[in-house]
Amino acid sequence: MTSHGRTDVSPADWLEAMAGLRSEGFVLFDFLTAVDRGATLEVVARIVNPVTRVTAMVWTTLPADAAELASLSDYYLGATWCEREAAEMFGVTFIGLADTRPLLLRASLGKPPMRKSAPLVARAIRDWPGAAQATDDGRQGGNPSRRRQLPPGVPEVFLHDDVNGDVASAELASGDQR
Amino acid sequence: MIPGEAHGTIALSASACTSCMICVRECPTWCIELDSHTEQVSEPGARRPKTVNVLDAFRIDFGLCMYCGICVDLCPFDALAWSPEHDLASTTAAGLVHGIEELESTWPSADCAAEAGTPGGDGSPSDS
Ligand code: SF4
Ligand code: SF4
Repeated sequence: MTSHGRTDVSPADWLEAMAGLRSEGFVLFDFLTAVDRGATLEVVARIVNPVTRVTAMVWTTLPADAAELASLSDYYLGATWCEREAAEMFGVTFIGLADTRPLLLRASLGKPPMRKSAPLVARAIRDWPGAAQATDDGRQGGNPSRRRQLPPGVPEVFLHDDVNGDVASAELASGDQR
Repeated sequence: MIPGEAHGTIALSASACTSCMICVRECPTWCIELDSHTEQVSEPGARRPKTVNVLDAFRIDFGLCMYCGICVDLCPFDALAWSPEHDLASTTAAGLVHGIEELESTWPSADCAAEAGTPGGDGSPSDS
């Protein structure tokens, strides 16, 4: 399969660009998902021309706090499934998407879990196995001169000193998710 | 037939593992746990005894593992390898946590390792 490469379009041109490619023969919808870049959210769709077997990846960039995009469901019925998933996982609102029922998650879950700002509760309630150190001969507790290792990518609020997780779990329990 | 290079499970060669903790710290799902202690080893001719890590326990929770292979790629001592063994089903969550014995029992044969171009084979990779 050859690739048509990456095309970047503005959110305003999203629908027109996809409709244009569809009329050029890219009639097979493959997938759609989102990528959280912090301040922005990228949405990507992959479509295929089944005759030439060429694939196209179309990207657009949305502001993370106002992630709205036109739904492809009028052009690609199969996009409905992926848009529903991107909606519940990344919090993208697809304008014109008729079926907005959540696919996998409870509607009451709150923050879309694939956003980087959504805390992964398992990181708060578990100790990081990487903090363990070799116990020295006969002495418990390892070598105190070694610098304490911290798990990568875990919000600071989860790392409250030795009571790993207590602060964060309390915050989560009170519903104060950051 | 399952090809030899299939990513069925992660296997361990405990004798090759130096308890360096790299896999434990890099595993994105925190599913590897390792216990170790240090011992002083005197070698003939050496002026001072050497401190070495001794592996006490090594566990992978296959209920959490997502088979990303990062641990296999990052182990500097080729102590972890993909194995085509894939029969890991268990009736309990605890049964998915595999210790040294289970992780060693799936160490890939030389044929599989050759097919995959990865560590494996008879004995530990450090012997070869
Ligand atoms: S394959 Fe990935 S998830 Fe599984 S133990 Fe290795 S690093 Fe962790
Ligand atoms: S990275 Fe390799 S040598 Fe280091 S602890 Fe893990 S298995 Fe052992």
